[in-house]
Amino acid sequence: MPREIALGDALVPGLLVVFVASLAVLWLLDWIAGRFGLYRLVWHPSLFRLALFVCVFGSFALLLF
Amino acid sequence: MSTNEANAVLPTPRKLVVNSLAEEAGIWLFVFKTLLAFYLTGWLAMRLSLPQPSSAMLTTIIVANRQSGMVLAKSFYRCIGTLAGAVAAFFIVGLFPQQRELFLAALSLWVGLCAGGATLYRNFTSYAFVLAGYSAAIIAIPVINDPPAVFDSAVARISEVLLGLLVSGVVSDIVFPSRMRDVLRRTAHAQFAHFIGFVQGSTGGNIARDSMEKAHLRFVRDAVALEDLRSSVIFEDAEARARSGHMLLFNQRFMAASTSFQSLHHLINRLQRGAHTAAAQALIALYAPIGTALDAPIEAGAAARVLLPRLVTARQQMAALAVTLRDRLASDSQALDFDTGATLLNRFADELRDYVDSAASLQSTGRLANSVERVRFTRGNDFMDAGLATLRTTMTMLALGAFWIASAWPMGASAMLVATIFAGLFATRPHPNQAVKAMTLGYAVGMSAGFVCVFFVLTRMDGYMLFVAGSAPFLIAGLVAMMWPSLASHGLGYSMGFAYILAVKNTMVFDPVNFMNDSIAQIVGLAFTAIAFVVVPPAIGSRWLRRRQLERLRRQVGLAANAPLAGLRHRFESVNHDLFSQVVEQTEPGSNDSRALLAWALAVHETGRALIELRNDMVASPLPTDVSRAIALAVGVLARFYENPDTAGYLLARDSLNSAIRAASENAIARPLLNHLQLIRLGLLDGDSVLADYMPVAPISTETAHAS
Repeated sequence: MPREIALGDALVPGLLVVFVASLAVLWLLDWIAGRFGLYRLVWHPSLFRLALFVCVFGSFALLLF
Repeated sequence: MSTNEANAVLPTPRKLVVNSLAEEAGIWLFVFKTLLAFYLTGWLAMRLSLPQPSSAMLTTIIVANRQSGMVLAKSFYRCIGTLAGAVAAFFIVGLFPQQRELFLAALSLWVGLCAGGATLYRNFTSYAFVLAGYSAAIIAIPVINDPPAVFDSAVARISEVLLGLLVSGVVSDIVFPSRMRDVLRRTAHAQFAHFIGFVQGSTGGNIARDSMEKAHLRFVRDAVALEDLRSSVIFEDAEARARSGHMLLFNQRFMAASTSFQSLHHLINRLQRGAHTAAAQALIALYAPIGTALDAPIEAGAAARVLLPRLVTARQQMAALAVTLRDRLASDSQALDFDTGATLLNRFADELRDYVDSAASLQSTGRLANSVERVRFTRGNDFMDAGLATLRTTMTMLALGAFWIASAWPMGASAMLVATIFAGLFATRPHPNQAVKAMTLGYAVGMSAGFVCVFFVLTRMDGYMLFVAGSAPFLIAGLVAMMWPSLASHGLGYSMGFAYILAVKNTMVFDPVNFMNDSIAQIVGLAFTAIAFVVVPPAIGSRWLRRRQLERLRRQVGLAANAPLAGLRHRFESVNHDLFSQVVEQTEPGSNDSRALLAWALAVHETGRALIELRNDMVASPLPTDVSRAIALAVGVLARFYENPDTAGYLLARDSLNSAIRAASENAIARPLLNHLQLIRLGLLDGDSVLADYMPVAPISTETAHAS
């Protein structure tokens, strides 16, 4: 993974960009889950949300690696 | 007897102990969670070698709250604010990289504008504005001598804040979360039960004016509290977010139904006071089916759905009853009064049914239908106050900036930063002077504690665990104080001052001289903020602002009379409620101000709603020109009277309303409108209302007033 990404010629840490992007993706997934009541099928919604975030963040990082 | 008493008394101390222990447990859970987030953030920031771990740690203190939803909501807005501030910092540095005067002026203006924008909101959105302001300052000021470094500064700041937010969010959401969703559910349920109970209890027809005013106060508080809760809970719970539209609709329907309910009771009261007891009695009789329908045991869960079919039956009974009751009335004028009341009652019954319907759909656990009406809770804002906040913050910044430039003070940046932060944060508080004082005191004590901690404890410590052990006892004191209502500001100041001055870095620097200089700069910055609040006093809570708000409340009648009709009812109701609750928060309960305000609010509410209904009906049925012109004239005159109440305006409004009624009664198509006009007129003639001050001295007898 490139340790830094050039945004308009300013070097930004790659992890920061990935982090913000995965937050946005999590927001979307969370919205869908809430919309269709999927959190009712889960024992601990906030743990589930955290795990989901770790998965998203990890897979993004792996993709770029 | 004595054994009974002993039995009744005995559990109390025990209960007291249990309750206070539960309370204590809540406090210590908060302390534990905050400490966990604080040190976890610090450790991660050091592992990631961020330049200033202390600012990430400070973030966790700032967003700390007992409720998980509050933490998440504040984090969300802090994130947005920080990003916006970073963009603004780029622009300002890019525009004036070499002129420090222009740079500081532009920055001051930006911070001021953000502080002004913050006063326009009453939830965490305002926090986002404050942050957008001072994040720009935090990013831009340290690089004033080296403009190209602004990128690194911005990236570092964003990383630190986001890290702090992530850790706080995770900790507060996962470690023994305390959910606001339950509070919201309880509040909504209490609102529903209270309103239904109140309506059901008052079907006898007699509610004294002051108990009506109290009930109105409670309705308004309920509506605004529910809206505030809703706007935070949506961050905590995805399901609550999906239901947020329904929640809004539920609240709007509540406001609509409570307004109609009050209009109805004022009408009945008026008729009883005048010589129209027969009409009043008939209305009370007509009202009875609703009371019977609502007389169902309200249990958790199933309550609302049980009521729905009963309300529909009640509506049918009322329609049949209305005919017989109307036939019994002797004179035409009584029949007119009765019709007015019956229309109002029908409106109320429909709104009540809608309200119960949305309560039922909220209580059901299944997926909700998507086709929910789009509504917004519109706030009533005063741009004057925002202007004052802008002026004050900009002035503080400019004064400090000028002092910095003139004195070449090496710590000027530090003082300026702290002044920015607090001038923005306190602009939205009702009593900023006391808060700033408490905060300054707490900050000073916190920094003294920081001195002891850094130079007497941490110098002997090695490694992260020992650092935690060495500094946690100092921090705990501040966090516990934050939970005591009387010491909350002190505690926050202490914790922030301590966390700031600790200035944890990967390689800790022990520099007493720098420490002292920085502390002095912080206190100077805070003192500047305090002075600024004295020089440009906050409008919130002042007599002047209250008068302005009262004027705005009265102008709501003008809004009801002139604004475009689409969505007007919701807009009118929510702005009314918001304005009213703002003024209520700032007046002492039971004072003259508060009584006058309540009286005005009731009059505005009633007249405004009747005007909106009138205009809706006017659009629905085409009228002959002369009638619609007479009505439009009366509406306009009425709106002007409310804007500028005086005796001449009162007479004019009364006369034009009378001629509108005359015109409408001569025309068959305009008959339905007569009820609304009559309702408005009866409100205008009410000798008990606030309008009595503007009535001519010789009271007009009600009979001549009925000469239609």
